[in-house]
Amino acid sequence: MTLAVLGLTPGPAVAADPAPTAEDIRFFEMKIRPLLAERCHKCHGAEKQKGDLRLDTEAGIRKGGDSGEPLIVAAKPDMSMLLRSVRHAQDVPAMPPKAKLKDSEIADLEAWVKRGAPFPVSIKVGSDPSKHWAFQPVVASAPPAVKDASWAKSDLDRYILAKLEAAQLKPASPADKPTLIRRATFDLIGLPPTPEEVDAFIKDASPTAFANVVDRLLASPRYGERWGRHWLDVARYADSNGLDENTAHGNAWRYRDYVIASFNADKPYDLFLREQIAGDLLKKANPGSGHEPLIATGFLALGPKVLAEPDEKKMEFDIVDEQIDTLGKAVMGLTLGCARCHDHKFDPVSTADYYGLAGVFISTKTMENFKKVARWHENSLASPADVKKKAEHDAAVARLKEQIKGLTAKTDEPSKVELKKLKAELAELEKKAPELPSAMGVTEGTPTDVPVLRRGNHLTPGAMVARRFPIIIAGVNQEALPKDHSGRLELANWLTNPKHPLTARVMVNRVWRWHFGQGLVRSVDNFGLLSDKPSHPELLDSLAAEFVKSGWSVKALHRRLMLSATYQMSSTHDARAAIADPDNRLRWRANIRRLEAEAIRDSLLAVSGLLEHAGGGPVLTHLKNRDYIFDHTSKDRTTYTTHRRSVYLPVIRNNLYDVFQLFDAPDASVPNGDRPTTTVPTQALFFLNSELAANSAAALADRILTQTNLTDDTRVKQLLAITYGREPNAKEAERLIAAVDAFEKDFSAGEQDAGKRRRNAWSAVCQSVLASNEFIHIR
Amino acid sequence: MALHTTASPSRRDVLQQSALGFGYLALADLLRADDAPAGKQAPHFKPRAKRVIFLFMKGGPSHIDTFDPKPLLDRDDGKPFPGERPRVVFAKTGNLLKSPWKFKQYGQCGTPVSELFPNVAKCVDDICFVHSLHGTNPAHGGAALKLHTGSDNFVRPSMGAWIAYGLGAANDNLPAFVTVCPTLAHGGVNNWASAFLPASCQGVPLGNASTPVEQAKVRYIDNKRLTLSDQKKQLALLAEMNGDHLARTGPDGALEGRIDSFELAFRMQKTMPEAEDISKETDATRKLYGLDDPITAPFGRQCLLARRLAERDVRFVQVTHSDSMVQWDQHGDLRKGHSKNAREVDKPIAGLLTDLKSRGLLKDTLVLWGGEFGRTPTVEGGGNDGRDHNPEGFTVWMAGGGVKPGFRYGATDDYGWYAAENKVHIHDLHATMLALLGLDHEKLTFKHAGRDFRLTDVHGQVIKELFA
Repeated sequence: MTLAVLGLTPGPAVAADPAPTAEDIRFFEMKIRPLLAERCHKCHGAEKQKGDLRLDTEAGIRKGGDSGEPLIVAAKPDMSMLLRSVRHAQDVPAMPPKAKLKDSEIADLEAWVKRGAPFPVSIKVGSDPSKHWAFQPVVASAPPAVKDASWAKSDLDRYILAKLEAAQLKPASPADKPTLIRRATFDLIGLPPTPEEVDAFIKDASPTAFANVVDRLLASPRYGERWGRHWLDVARYADSNGLDENTAHGNAWRYRDYVIASFNADKPYDLFLREQIAGDLLKKANPGSGHEPLIATGFLALGPKVLAEPDEKKMEFDIVDEQIDTLGKAVMGLTLGCARCHDHKFDPVSTADYYGLAGVFISTKTMENFKKVARWHENSLASPADVKKKAEHDAAVARLKEQIKGLTAKTDEPSKVELKKLKAELAELEKKAPELPSAMGVTEGTPTDVPVLRRGNHLTPGAMVARRFPIIIAGVNQEALPKDHSGRLELANWLTNPKHPLTARVMVNRVWRWHFGQGLVRSVDNFGLLSDKPSHPELLDSLAAEFVKSGWSVKALHRRLMLSATYQMSSTHDARAAIADPDNRLRWRANIRRLEAEAIRDSLLAVSGLLEHAGGGPVLTHLKNRDYIFDHTSKDRTTYTTHRRSVYLPVIRNNLYDVFQLFDAPDASVPNGDRPTTTVPTQALFFLNSELAANSAAALADRILTQTNLTDDTRVKQLLAITYGREPNAKEAERLIAAVDAFEKDFSAGEQDAGKRRRNAWSAVCQSVLASNEFIHIR
Repeated sequence: MALHTTASPSRRDVLQQSALGFGYLALADLLRADDAPAGKQAPHFKPRAKRVIFLFMKGGPSHIDTFDPKPLLDRDDGKPFPGERPRVVFAKTGNLLKSPWKFKQYGQCGTPVSELFPNVAKCVDDICFVHSLHGTNPAHGGAALKLHTGSDNFVRPSMGAWIAYGLGAANDNLPAFVTVCPTLAHGGVNNWASAFLPASCQGVPLGNASTPVEQAKVRYIDNKRLTLSDQKKQLALLAEMNGDHLARTGPDGALEGRIDSFELAFRMQKTMPEAEDISKETDATRKLYGLDDPITAPFGRQCLLARRLAERDVRFVQVTHSDSMVQWDQHGDLRKGHSKNAREVDKPIAGLLTDLKSRGLLKDTLVLWGGEFGRTPTVEGGGNDGRDHNPEGFTVWMAGGGVKPGFRYGATDDYGWYAAENKVHIHDLHATMLALLGLDHEKLTFKHAGRDFRLTDVHGQVIKELFA
């Protein structure tokens, strides 16, 4: 292979062709890129280009420095300036000037040049990472012209149709009404439509029939439960710490409820973000506001932490790292965490960018202390009355203690009796200590800058970096962050500036993903250089621009997406389109999607009539805040028997509710806006054998059997209306009734009571219906 | 990158989502024609082992009291440790503490083993000891995660999941990775989860550390209300309805995969209980594993289960020795605690090795024994009877599966605190284990969040000296 490269790449230029082999790429990624990043990019990278030399792009390496001499002569290391420099040869600048590379590193560079200095595509594309599409300003363009002018309901459709037409594909026909309302209802509230809702929609012949459905769903309190849960995936929300010391996040539910309420209120997304990043500071500026901004900062505090990390400094930086990583992915779709140990290998994010941000979070107080087992900080939500009550209690305790102290020295019998009584009183009183309400969250720490930590290690600090934001987006001329506070508020404002190229794009793409099953950019949490290219970049920008213009209204965005012809297509298969575009990136039809874990459980409970709509409040009622979920024991006393919506069930890291685990709920340790959908046999076992499936089936059977005067035909009609939102066809009805009869016969030996037998037979059939693909898929 | 549900999933998606997985190698072959993943070219090595049984001693057994005797520690008992202590320690410890147990040499190889493991001692000619393992994290959580996933602060796939991903299931009716009575503490599920790897790679737990082993079963494996024949009827009805649905939607890999998964689940309802059922094992076998003794019976049963699963070609079986406390964590009460722990596992482990060997399974089954770290040579606590965590140097051992039998590799310093000679990092152990299974740790990658991930991150060296 090396020989082939040798033969094909004469001349002084860096090898451009042929395409690098997989082995070439591996070698570059394993050996060369890290070496360049660690040893060269500081002076010859995105920020500085000493000697007019840049080593982080192919173009830069090809161009060489201001000496004009080519840096690399393909296949000829001895003639390459790069090698002569690192060998500290005569008459060339010795590089790196201070610490010579290790022999093994020089050997790697030599081997690379001998191979012909091949570059992987990732560094070739665009060459200059600052030109990456996602870092450019959002540009709202005029929608493209389309041939079929009648199909489009909105500009969104024109962007979609233009590409379909260019590929000579046609959009699928519109979905029928039962399919559409089922899709919309699951999308917006995560529950199946009721038979009455389906009927009403079918009967509504007005042109605004579907818009009315969408408005009704958006106004439902169930909406926030559904979309709040989506955001909780991104916020890696959990009710326990996970990792090593799995202690209870006893107050995390306040953040969850805040998120749900924010979606229901259509809180502008920019404000929603500002509260989560700097709510404590917003509250300071506006003390009259409620607790919400304080609770919102739970976003920064909810991450998993190694609370027993014996190296306290490491723990502190690990926690900051988790915050930066989460913030980067959730808000900007950037994997900033990569730059903790080395300049980002793919994206133009340097360690200096990273530690510039790290300073902001080091200056923020997330933890009460770092002593193992460390304690996280909570913001007090206590009212003056709460505080007064607590103070009175404390005073009472102090008084009792004083009395006890006075008696302990005395030896006479009455004193002894009195002492015993007081001690009992004290114990009783201490049990009743009022707990002041508080919320996980952050507050201001001591504003300070931090040095770059080489290889991410706090034992090898490098140069100090002023607190600041990544240069690739914020530019080099940034206003210095204030000396008297962390800079979090400035960070929040910078992120939600309408001109920020990533924030709006990332969010509209997330919403698109949650509606359509696949983002316009499929890597929803990564918009960096290795991200998926947007299938419709102009549409993405148009949606982002509209989103900002609408005052960052998520509900307006739902309407924009759902009232399009694109959203309302059917999922009809088209063999030709399936070959041309198997991943449906051009959106020639609606995707068939499996429900998420929560929607599966909620649907089982909903159709069986078991679902309870009480919501909100604490979830870990069997534990106090910071108690161990389980530590040395493996006994988890958390229960999931409630029939409340899934969003209100505990999210226990390290031992997630098994139904959630089975159906791909995220691990809750890292942001995840793109849940996978896997199929494993243990999921089938759940539908066949779990209590939840069996109980739901039995309750559903009871529902079908409540009215005693119905025919089996009518019951089957009811069953499918409740579960599938449609009418059965003749064959289905016949099949289901035959199955009931067969089970009834089967059960005759074991069950004497005819009524029970019939109920069990219906129950067995209902279980099959609940296990079916149609029940847990949207089409 | 995460898997996407698509209207008509690409071939790659369908294969990756398929019920038990083909394994990475098979997958790569299947995909090569249209869509070969980067970094995948040369075939990996010829495998020496087909499967792994990992005997995990939760809490950190003391290497210097079991398999790594230190004469200088005996000599200098009670004196200060002359070397430099690690910068970060878990707890404060005092002066040197000699081992309360005597060591003797065993087998043709003459390997020293303490009184704690008289039965394992008889197997030393089949065992390959690594005395110079070292990790990074001195706390249980971090260390357990490091050992299982290669990372102590990020959520990463477990080594069993990587192996399931790399090799796929060898038995269509059983999962590729089963973990028997795992502990939920210290990383819990993350120690056997698949993280970003396909869900089919995750460990399927049989109970957990607080479940009595007789009750340790796959979740939802049985049905108390319906007979198998009723269930067959339910499945027949389901298949018809799903068939109709599929006819309406048109071809769809995910829907078809789900239809198949019900058949597989139904088969698993038979194969899994059958694998778990030890009633047909002979008395001699039961005795071999110590099932006739209430002290050794629980772990013996776990080991016997491991053999039955290995026999059925489950790729990775983990057996955890952990009560509902941190079993091997003797900060105090070392004499009593370690005696009790060793007594519970010694006979079953020796039984497992003997049984595997006599059935011809040991040659391609890699048995790995170890905890998340070792313990300090210095004393912890006032009772002169405890040791702290020590990730700086400790012992694990392997047997079968192509490792050198009757062999000792690496060494700790004179007192057993630090790995000193031929140091083996946990990443190296992972790389070596994968190599024994025919997998190149640098090539076994999965693309996630924009980059390729490996079990060994950017580290790991295969220790070829350990190969037979």
